[in-house]
Amino acid sequence: MSDHYLEDQGEKSVVIVMTSGPSTAHRCATPFYLGALLSSMDAEVKIFCTMEAVRLMQTGVAENLSAMAGGKRIIDFIRDAKNAGVEIHVCRPALPGYEIEADNLIEEVDAVASAGDLADLILSVDRLLFF
Amino acid sequence: MECNGCEFRAELYYDRECQIWVRREGDGTLTVGMTDISQSIAGKILHVRVRRPGTRRPVGKPVATIESGKWAGPVPNVFDCVIELANEDVLEDPNLLNIEPYEAWIARVRPVASVDVALEKLSTGDAAFELYRQRCLRDDIHCERGMR
Repeated sequence: MSDHYLEDQGEKSVVIVMTSGPSTAHRCATPFYLGALLSSMDAEVKIFCTMEAVRLMQTGVAENLSAMAGGKRIIDFIRDAKNAGVEIHVCRPALPGYEIEADNLIEEVDAVASAGDLADLILSVDRLLFF
Repeated sequence: MECNGCEFRAELYYDRECQIWVRREGDGTLTVGMTDISQSIAGKILHVRVRRPGTRRPVGKPVATIESGKWAGPVPNVFDCVIELANEDVLEDPNLLNIEPYEAWIARVRPVASVDVALEKLSTGDAAFELYRQRCLRDDIHCERGMR
């Protein structure tokens, strides 16, 4: 169980590699929720969307998707994460496979990045999570 | 005073997004809590964690973190301060924030500069209510209080 008090653990960097998308909607809220929480605990958080997760960044998808029937929309989890300071990166090489143009992404996306950018993050970050 | 069922207390100070309220204390400290707007957006609050007393929190570094079933995020901080005290009642029973957001304070902090300098960054009275009203209407926020 967590203590009620937060200790100063320095400003750690965290990368969350998100691969889940609309076909597994129940997996799509938690990474953004956790990202928001980590960011509010002073971590520098980047969520890197690749594979099917790029579909969540396509305009009109997350706006109409919930992790559970009648629940909060994924776009609102994404916005909560952004408001907490999370950066969102989208994998450019994954876009063609889902017929998504880079100019048709939601405004919450901070960067469209290469696989090399992800590789650099993996090698430099303090903590790496996959969803 | 209220907007869309969201209670507003004119004697308190508020940030621009009306996420937090701040109250001046007689000993040079400030008390920080969540507004009715914030507790309504969060839904039933399950966990509150406050920075340990004695910790300095610069502008932008949260005083505490909040977790509900559908929302996680910071209790924002708009002035440089040191945490003096956390509300143990709220730490033990975070749902108090949903039931009585203006009584259930979260933390007491001491501004690094003076109290007056810290409060310059916040709004109060009619000016704050206008911000509060705009936020409620812009984001279509309707408040509900939690119950036991």
